[in-house]
Amino acid sequence: MPFIPAPDAPEPIVRRDFLRHLAAAGAAAWACGEPRAIAGDASQQPAATADACIVLWMAGGMAAPETFDPKRYTPYESGVEMKSVLSTFPAIDTTLDGVRICEGLGEIASVLDRGTLIRSAVQPDLGSILHSRHQYHWHTGYVPPQTVAAPHLGAWMAKVLGPNQTATGRDVMPPFINIGQRLEGVGEKEELKAFTTAGFFGSAFGPLNLPYPELAAQSVRPPDGMTGTRYAARHRLLRDLAEAGPEADRISPHQRDSLLRSAESAYRLMSAPEREAFDITREPAAVQATYDTGRFGRGCLLARRLVESGARFVEVTTEYVPFLHWDTHDAGHETVARLHAEIDRPVAQLIRDLDERGLLDRTLVVLASEFSRDAMIEGQPGSGAKDQSRAKVDVITEPRHYGLHRHFTGGTSVLMFGGGVKRGFVHGRTADERPLVAVEDPVSVTDLHATILKAMGIGPKTGFEVEGRPFYVTEDGHGRPVEAVFA
Amino acid sequence: MPVRCLSHCIFVCTLVCAAEAAAAERIDFAHQVVPILRTHCAACHADGEANGGFAIDTRGQLLESGMVVAGEAADSYALELIASADADVMMPPPDRPRVSGKEAEILRQWIDQGAEWEAGFRFGAARYEPPLRPRRVELPPAVDGRTHPIDRLLDAHLASRDPAAALSPLRPERADEATFLRRASLDLIGLLPTPEEVRAFADDDAPDKRERLIDTLLAREVDYADHWLTFWNDLLRNDYAGTGFITKGRTQISGWLYRSLRENAPFDDMVRELVAPPDDASAGFINGIKWRGEVSAGQTIPIQFSQSVSQSLLGINMKCASCHDSFIDRWTLADAYGLAAIFAEQPLELFRCDKPTGRTAEAAWLFPEIGSVDPAAPREERLRQLAELLVHPENGRTSRTIVNRLWGQMMGRGIVHPLDAMQTEPRDADLLDWLAADLQDHGYDLKRTLRLIATSNAYAARSGRDADDPLAGLAAPLAKRLTAEQFVDAVWRLTGTAPKKYDAPIERMAGDDSEPPARAALLVSTPLMRSLGRPNRDQIVTSRPAELSTLEALDLNTSAALLADLRVGAERLLAESPEPDALVEAIMLRTLARSPTADERQVMTDFLGPEPTADGVADLLWATLMRPEFLLVR
Repeated sequence: MPFIPAPDAPEPIVRRDFLRHLAAAGAAAWACGEPRAIAGDASQQPAATADACIVLWMAGGMAAPETFDPKRYTPYESGVEMKSVLSTFPAIDTTLDGVRICEGLGEIASVLDRGTLIRSAVQPDLGSILHSRHQYHWHTGYVPPQTVAAPHLGAWMAKVLGPNQTATGRDVMPPFINIGQRLEGVGEKEELKAFTTAGFFGSAFGPLNLPYPELAAQSVRPPDGMTGTRYAARHRLLRDLAEAGPEADRISPHQRDSLLRSAESAYRLMSAPEREAFDITREPAAVQATYDTGRFGRGCLLARRLVESGARFVEVTTEYVPFLHWDTHDAGHETVARLHAEIDRPVAQLIRDLDERGLLDRTLVVLASEFSRDAMIEGQPGSGAKDQSRAKVDVITEPRHYGLHRHFTGGTSVLMFGGGVKRGFVHGRTADERPLVAVEDPVSVTDLHATILKAMGIGPKTGFEVEGRPFYVTEDGHGRPVEAVFA
Repeated sequence: MPVRCLSHCIFVCTLVCAAEAAAAERIDFAHQVVPILRTHCAACHADGEANGGFAIDTRGQLLESGMVVAGEAADSYALELIASADADVMMPPPDRPRVSGKEAEILRQWIDQGAEWEAGFRFGAARYEPPLRPRRVELPPAVDGRTHPIDRLLDAHLASRDPAAALSPLRPERADEATFLRRASLDLIGLLPTPEEVRAFADDDAPDKRERLIDTLLAREVDYADHWLTFWNDLLRNDYAGTGFITKGRTQISGWLYRSLRENAPFDDMVRELVAPPDDASAGFINGIKWRGEVSAGQTIPIQFSQSVSQSLLGINMKCASCHDSFIDRWTLADAYGLAAIFAEQPLELFRCDKPTGRTAEAAWLFPEIGSVDPAAPREERLRQLAELLVHPENGRTSRTIVNRLWGQMMGRGIVHPLDAMQTEPRDADLLDWLAADLQDHGYDLKRTLRLIATSNAYAARSGRDADDPLAGLAAPLAKRLTAEQFVDAVWRLTGTAPKKYDAPIERMAGDDSEPPARAALLVSTPLMRSLGRPNRDQIVTSRPAELSTLEALDLNTSAALLADLRVGAERLLAESPEPDALVEAIMLRTLARSPTADERQVMTDFLGPEPTADGVADLLWATLMRPEFLLVR
């Protein structure tokens, strides 16, 4: 049931001219002045191969050997030495000849021929391997701390590109939407907030945070208990008062317009067809059921709907909560089996849906994590089997000890689909025996960023001046796209 | 703290950082080419010098000379001269350092790429160098009975710029009384005036009522401290939650700061206690944020100290110079590390672009002309010496920086703009210098400066100019957006929904019924406050956003919590004044500190109908809160 009266209803109440142009104004709704661009004019930018980007974030450190880069399988057995364990899942075939991924990811295996699998992503050792620091690095391109607040990758896209108007021909959609991560009531929440931000771009380019996909519609809907009629009347009252008061001639036109324009833009979104995109219950029950493996799965469905309606950058996370989900410090095998089930169907279905709708070619989907895991190797030289793990044993005697419980930055898998990347391609390789480091074509965070940004038509040296200094979209402007992954 | 070569020199910059990766990449004119030309060429070929008829002030000059052919390095004779071994023709001349091979390669690539030039850039444009020492400006005579020192200075300044501007018709008109009351209340204590205050001010016929209002507001020490805590928390990056606390890598200065504000502690004492803390209460500022894991050389704790002291207290951006010699002002890597070494407990090695240089920093302060820090002294003594230099009688920089910030808070824009670039020429140097000297000459009394500003005709003038108007924030205030804290406080006071408890560990009042309700500034940031522009205080933030973003408006549109608060307030208001006309009057007084116009009254009573409901009143409140007139301190 629609909650707002027809959005095309004319507004005869506008009496003076000054509000009229605001009602029509849209292009500037998601953009304002500072900071100043120092590069990035069209002539220097690569041609975009994608109009939208979805990041599927495996928060907490997804072990590559348990997912997309299986190694020698060691089944569980009491008395097995930890050091003999490389993978705790057997490998299965995929639609890509000769490429195998872990059991439990059969749906993704069936669409692997539509994408590119990078097996050689690497991260720096930042002294000690810490989730929030690596997540900050991955999401902003810069290692914390920074002297200015670094913008999130999505904020860069919002700032440089704005909403994706090719989707609907309109610009009412917030360009940067962040699904699934709670920023209150979870551990390390301050550290999460530090990078879940538009930083020095200002909140106009920040994320619309939708921690619960099933409640996303509330973010573009009047508060509970308010009917659409009442909401529209309230907004008309704002317009009337702005017309009747000194706003019309006593306030600087720039300030007045900018404040009213934002209110109008919010109203437009809440009364436009795009608002429906936030409501996943509008999908057929069977579709909802396919995606509904939990919050992450529902988030994937939401992401698809938002991208269809003009979102530029959407991130869906399995959610970072210390020691939960992919942060497998204990009972790794069992936890990862559950996570397989959580991600497998929705990720594959997202790819199929986008492909069927003809959207995959112009939508870049990136599945990634802050680092990988290993049963043995720790980031700090000299660290032993007992660091960073709650399963502090060298010999496995019970199931909860069976799994990859330690952080590892030497070789991580990244899955990419659509948006100009090759269909059916594997880039890079990791060693077959410990340490499972990237031995071919390592891809740094900076270069991975450059690759994602190139697909979006943003050159690695695109930058803005802040506090008199240049700040680039890839670290210091040094990113180099991995050309091999592009079709 | 160990420092590894991670190459996170954030702001790249430099030759050294960039050249290694530069092959075939686009050359960055400002950061790669300018330093080479400045070092090797500018002395003889720029800023009026044109030895050999060759000048490089602008791209036009460079190309006209024929020495450089854009896009054709091979045809650019200048490169031949640079590469030449012939002492008769080599450039620079043989008695000067050579251009390195790496630098020559950058020039070659730059020329091949078209010799692009940053729009508007020129060599030799004389850089403004602000005075260090205080300057005691003689007040010009009052014109037309405008006797306030600020007005005398501004009138003279404007007259000197444009004699026609001295004529009073061009002077900004005064804001009406209600606007002034609302402005002064929000600026000085962060709260909207109550209806009683609005009425009392309107009924007061005394000619000095504006001065008395300012004095009354400044005397409300709890309200004043509650409000100014926001400004100081931003400036000193103090907060009650945030990054770093999780591992005890950061401590608060909240209790000390609140007490200082409440007691109107002299600013020089505050600086002393911040920079050379007598105890833990004020130590959080210089101790910075200790991150887990390793950090780049530009963010070690001593370097954070260098950056924070420079930015907060001196309006100097030391972030560039903590990585390499700055391109935007005169500060060098050695300056940044010299300051850092005052703080450092261990010998501090200079890192250039995150790479060790083998040189050890020697504790030094930025303006040796007024004194120095003894590098051999123990750390506490070095810090104490630095603190004394910061508030040295001959140091006018610290006082200029703080009065400029206060001016910015009150007037919407600094006399020097931006606030953190005090090397910029002031819009009115006499005004800045007079205010700074006045602060120094009167015991660093911050309230005195605020009172001076707030009692001037400039502050009393009508706002309404656009930000690009040169007079905005100078001869008249530039309207400011309500901060997140002011907005939330307004909602709480309007609706009676303020919480009782707060997070700031401060000594406020007895905690009995006489204690006013909590203020937003005393609470940990909420999603709504973040949305409305309260920053994560991981970095120093000295100005808040001027615009309302669509996402913020969306939050204000959809927030169930806001609606619930408004509904509570609506019921209260209805109980007090059930009759529509009185209700409309009450709402207007409480939000905009004025009565409605006839048009507004019509719109509002039409909306409410003859028998207003709580929902209707809540919606009227919402629409009022979203009005530009409400969202601005104008």
